[in-house]
Amino acid sequence: MAETVERLVTNETPLPLGAYPKLVTRDMDVAGIDQIEVYRAHGGYAALAKALGQFQPDDLVEEVKRSGLRGRGGAGFATGLKWSFLPKESARPRYLCVNCDESEPGTFKDRMIMELNPHLLVEGTIIAAYATKVHHAFLYIRGELPFAMRQVERAVREARAAGLIGSDILGSGFDLEITVSRGAGAYICGEESALMESLEGKRGYPRLKPPFPAVVGLYGGPTVINNTETIATLPRIVELGAETYAAYGTEKSKGTRIYCLSGHVNRPGNYELPLGTPLRTLIEDFGGGVRGGKRLKAVIPGGSSTPFLTTEHLDVPLDYEAVLAAGSMLGSGGVIVLDEDTCIVGAVLRMTEFYRDESCGKCTPCREGTFWLVQLLERLEEGHGRESDLDLLNDICDNIAGKSFCPLGDAATSCIVSSIKLFRDEYLHHVRAHACLVGPKASRTDATLEKLAHHG
Amino acid sequence: MAEQDLVNLTIDGRPVSVPPGTLIWAAAKKLGIEVPIYCYHPKMEPLGACRMCFVAVEKMPKLATACTTVVSEGMVVRTDTPQVKKGRQGTLEFLLINHPLDCPICDKGGECDLQDFTLRHGPGASRFDLNKRHYQKPIPVSENILLDRERCISCQRCVRFCQAVAQENGLIMDQRGFRTEVAVDPDAPFDSIFSGNVVEMCPVGALTAKSFRFVSRPWELRKTPSVCGNCSVGCNVRVDVRVDKVQRQYSRTNDAIDDGWLCDRGRWDFAAVNSAERLHTPLVRRNGLLLPTSWEDALALVASRLRAVAQREGPGAIGGIGSTHTTNEEAYLFQKLLRAGLGTNNIDHHHGSFPASAHDTLPWVWTDSIAGLEQASHIVLLGADPYHRQPIVDLRIRNAIRAGAHVYILSPEANRLDRLAAGVLRYQAGQTATVARALLDIVLTERLTRDAYADNRHAPTPSPSPAGRREHGEAAGSPLAGGGELERVADAGVDVDALRALARELASAKGAVLLYDEMATLEPGGETLAADVLELALVTDNYGRPGAGCGPLFDDNNSLGARDMGLLPDLLPGYRPVGDAAARAALARAWNADLPAEAGVGYDEMLSAGVKALYVMGANPVRHMTPEQVVHLGAVDFLVVQDMFLTETAQRADVVLPAVAYAEKDGTFTNTERCVQVVRQAMQPLPGARADWEILLGVARALELDWSYAAPAQILAEIARTVPHYAGASRRALGAQGARWPLTPGPRDAEGRATLVGSPYLDWHMLEHGLARGAGPSRKLAFTRGRGE
Repeated sequence: MAETVERLVTNETPLPLGAYPKLVTRDMDVAGIDQIEVYRAHGGYAALAKALGQFQPDDLVEEVKRSGLRGRGGAGFATGLKWSFLPKESARPRYLCVNCDESEPGTFKDRMIMELNPHLLVEGTIIAAYATKVHHAFLYIRGELPFAMRQVERAVREARAAGLIGSDILGSGFDLEITVSRGAGAYICGEESALMESLEGKRGYPRLKPPFPAVVGLYGGPTVINNTETIATLPRIVELGAETYAAYGTEKSKGTRIYCLSGHVNRPGNYELPLGTPLRTLIEDFGGGVRGGKRLKAVIPGGSSTPFLTTEHLDVPLDYEAVLAAGSMLGSGGVIVLDEDTCIVGAVLRMTEFYRDESCGKCTPCREGTFWLVQLLERLEEGHGRESDLDLLNDICDNIAGKSFCPLGDAATSCIVSSIKLFRDEYLHHVRAHACLVGPKASRTDATLEKLAHHG
Repeated sequence: MAEQDLVNLTIDGRPVSVPPGTLIWAAAKKLGIEVPIYCYHPKMEPLGACRMCFVAVEKMPKLATACTTVVSEGMVVRTDTPQVKKGRQGTLEFLLINHPLDCPICDKGGECDLQDFTLRHGPGASRFDLNKRHYQKPIPVSENILLDRERCISCQRCVRFCQAVAQENGLIMDQRGFRTEVAVDPDAPFDSIFSGNVVEMCPVGALTAKSFRFVSRPWELRKTPSVCGNCSVGCNVRVDVRVDKVQRQYSRTNDAIDDGWLCDRGRWDFAAVNSAERLHTPLVRRNGLLLPTSWEDALALVASRLRAVAQREGPGAIGGIGSTHTTNEEAYLFQKLLRAGLGTNNIDHHHGSFPASAHDTLPWVWTDSIAGLEQASHIVLLGADPYHRQPIVDLRIRNAIRAGAHVYILSPEANRLDRLAAGVLRYQAGQTATVARALLDIVLTERLTRDAYADNRHAPTPSPSPAGRREHGEAAGSPLAGGGELERVADAGVDVDALRALARELASAKGAVLLYDEMATLEPGGETLAADVLELALVTDNYGRPGAGCGPLFDDNNSLGARDMGLLPDLLPGYRPVGDAAARAALARAWNADLPAEAGVGYDEMLSAGVKALYVMGANPVRHMTPEQVVHLGAVDFLVVQDMFLTETAQRADVVLPAVAYAEKDGTFTNTERCVQVVRQAMQPLPGARADWEILLGVARALELDWSYAAPAQILAEIARTVPHYAGASRRALGAQGARWPLTPGPRDAEGRATLVGSPYLDWHMLEHGLARGAGPSRKLAFTRGRGE
């Protein structure tokens, strides 16, 4: 018996924003869309039929290139171009991996797709496999998302029963097997090569690159790996045509993407917006502004691995280029809003603990550096820090960033370096007043201060 | 490699040319520029984890890791920029924040890469003033090895060794992030015979040997390059000695033999050298008791008693059993003493008495090499268990498996390699020769012989046994004379279909190596094994190129050397029959003595009834004798034993002469693949004991022979003059890593093939190249035996 999903997607806006299209999230709130009959009744798998019937695989790659679709996992690499890196011929079988290991703090869009509309993901997977001439696709689902796992597994079962997975799909002669695999709860396994190691049953360590997955990937075969949302966008691109899709967004960041709005806003949730929508529109119009009427302090625009922005960046358009120019990254689309009462040191400490605990331990800078960073931030947050700790934090970050084995090391430094730059005074307040500037630990009794002064 | 194929780059402004695919680390090493490494190990795939080997490469935005970056044409590398220094210092600072800095009590202190690189590349001080991670101090990970997790830098060398090289899965990485630790695989105990390598590879003091714990500071050790005295592989070791005790052996990496690895026996099993039970004075039996005496007294007694037996009973009443552990020089002197000094051919060594002995055929030698195993597409083990008996050969086979070789194990017992084998065939104990013969039978019956052989099938078979002797012109397509092999192996529990499949694979193999254990030839009926395996290799054209060949895996460090040196009743040094007048005359001239022309009696016969006086050097036959033989041994008139210990045989001796171990003397050993290697004295000999060559010299002098060797090098020089396949041998010629015999290719014969100087008994061309490809129909499959063709 299918599990019914009654949850509504909060992609409703109080504003008359009819101009905002819903592409990927179009049918998210249709009751029973997670079941194949309902999905089909809403046009599901028509895009697949169109792809198989009207496109040669290489033409489909071109179509995706024309759509301007860029990876929604974080790096924003052009999807069609990535596919074209696969060698024409290879001795070993080629594979498609769909990265459903969404673990970036502040990001919850893939989870929604998997839980609410898993057939969209399955349809996208079949289209991507057809385009890349892959006959075995793997969906690697984050271990902490058992419901998503069940939903996707059921969708795959239903699709297989409907002849959409297996041999000679829809009479096209195209064969595809899909394997759904579950992770065991390691953040690193969202990194593409660690994900492949994990799929192969090994410890989740990132692999040396080159060779890149397109050349030597899963089980040594040429492998294309895409994010869940990227894959789930494909049916719409096929359905609407590349030109229609590309009409949304900006010149270089085309289409729509799902922003995961969280933190101190009135209406947190997933919002699909055209790329280039200003941050202010997301936070104020869609998110209903900062909770409790407080002032905004900081925004992390692309998941916890991206540097902070502040109130002065509210008019930055949320596209890859503009956010980069503003000093951060669009990343995974996880927009975290912090209000004025948030202790920035405490927030950074909390995030850094995450990177310390999730470091895979393979390389020295990430393994040891995050351990040290956490201890320093703890010292600062608790009011025992020194002014020189700020330079030390920056220097440790410099010894991690660009020197770690994989981008996780770099990611761990983003919030620290950017927060020291943007909120240096708040750090210094911790050093000098032995207390937070804002938040519950802002006021200390005189006795506490005296005590701290002796120890500090 | 041709110059135009090399890649040219500069490192710190200095040009260097290296083959394509070379890592920057190796290119820098070639220039003598140190790029510090922890996780990288030249014998394993790059990992790129420790982030120590940063270099700056022009046009690369970030620092590159020298151990993972391959050189390219025109590359400009710098190892000395401020960015590189900061990168390396950063990594070292990170590595040290959780390191206990307990160098003063660490066994690794003094030879620790973390110490050394910190000194040379690291920051002078740490900025870390917080809390280090703590673990329980050393925990055992195996019987022999301790793990100190606080010292570990997570380079994964040990784990990768277990998983990729040994393929034994003993150590794993456990936990993650800063909690990462090396641990024992809960499903696979760390009990591999290769385990000790992780101690040597560990760049810090995390993995240490129990046997070396708090024993010595590394700088107090005297380190001597030598060769392991254990099994027949002949791994190159560094013998580390302190206060006249061997404390440990480390690999000194001979790529052709050990590939840089040692087995745990070689690494730690030197208790005999250090033993308090060692003999340190000659003993003479008086009134039934073995009592200490002087060397002078003992040697005089040996001479007079041997001479008395010779005079009373004739030289044929004297026999000698030599050693598979002593040096070539000592084996050579031993047989020279018996042949030239005492006039007898009653000479043998333990396991030396092969029924239908080697005089009928090519000596049983490994025609290919250990390193060649890695080029084989197929490896067949017949009654062999290299994991336990020649471990580093087993490790090389594992390398070959990793490279794609198919290994077939034909053995009566479970083998540690079974798990990695392409096929395993079990049979009843004692049936190895039958199985080999059945394999040959299938090849001949099913006409699986290959072209190179077909051209030569008029040639005589090398088989020494009458049952197997036949002309192949008649035999191809018909079963072996005697027949019934398949029925017999089926009775022995062999899956005949699997055997057939194997025969077919061999017949189409790119290159197969067939190895049998020396001991399998001693089984009843085993006398045909060596020849049948050789023939199998020949008829399936698995011969004469790297990665194709066959041969025995010997027992001891100098098993082959003992044979090469003529510790055989019927063969002079160099495998020349004692009946060969010319060979005898040449030696007689060199030795200035008449030599007996009749073959002597072998090991078993000597012990059964053959002799009145027995001279045993470095052997303990009593341990392996039948009760009747023990009774006989008690009845010999005179028994003299040279040994390090009062063995079972020595306890029955009339005179016991205390000898020294391989670490206490100079000489050469010959390993199972014919590599002659220099052994060096690593420590003062035990006071009172003497090297076997010195003892033999003393006996010779007491016999008033005109022997005047001052050092083993002089004996080696004589061997080079008198033993054809050792022509050219000298300590200098053998160098640091030895050379495989024949050491000097001889002049070319009429067909342009190299021959072995002065020895018609070893067709060196055959040995090295097998059948000459395209050599023409007149080419005979010649195992020249001096009987004319």
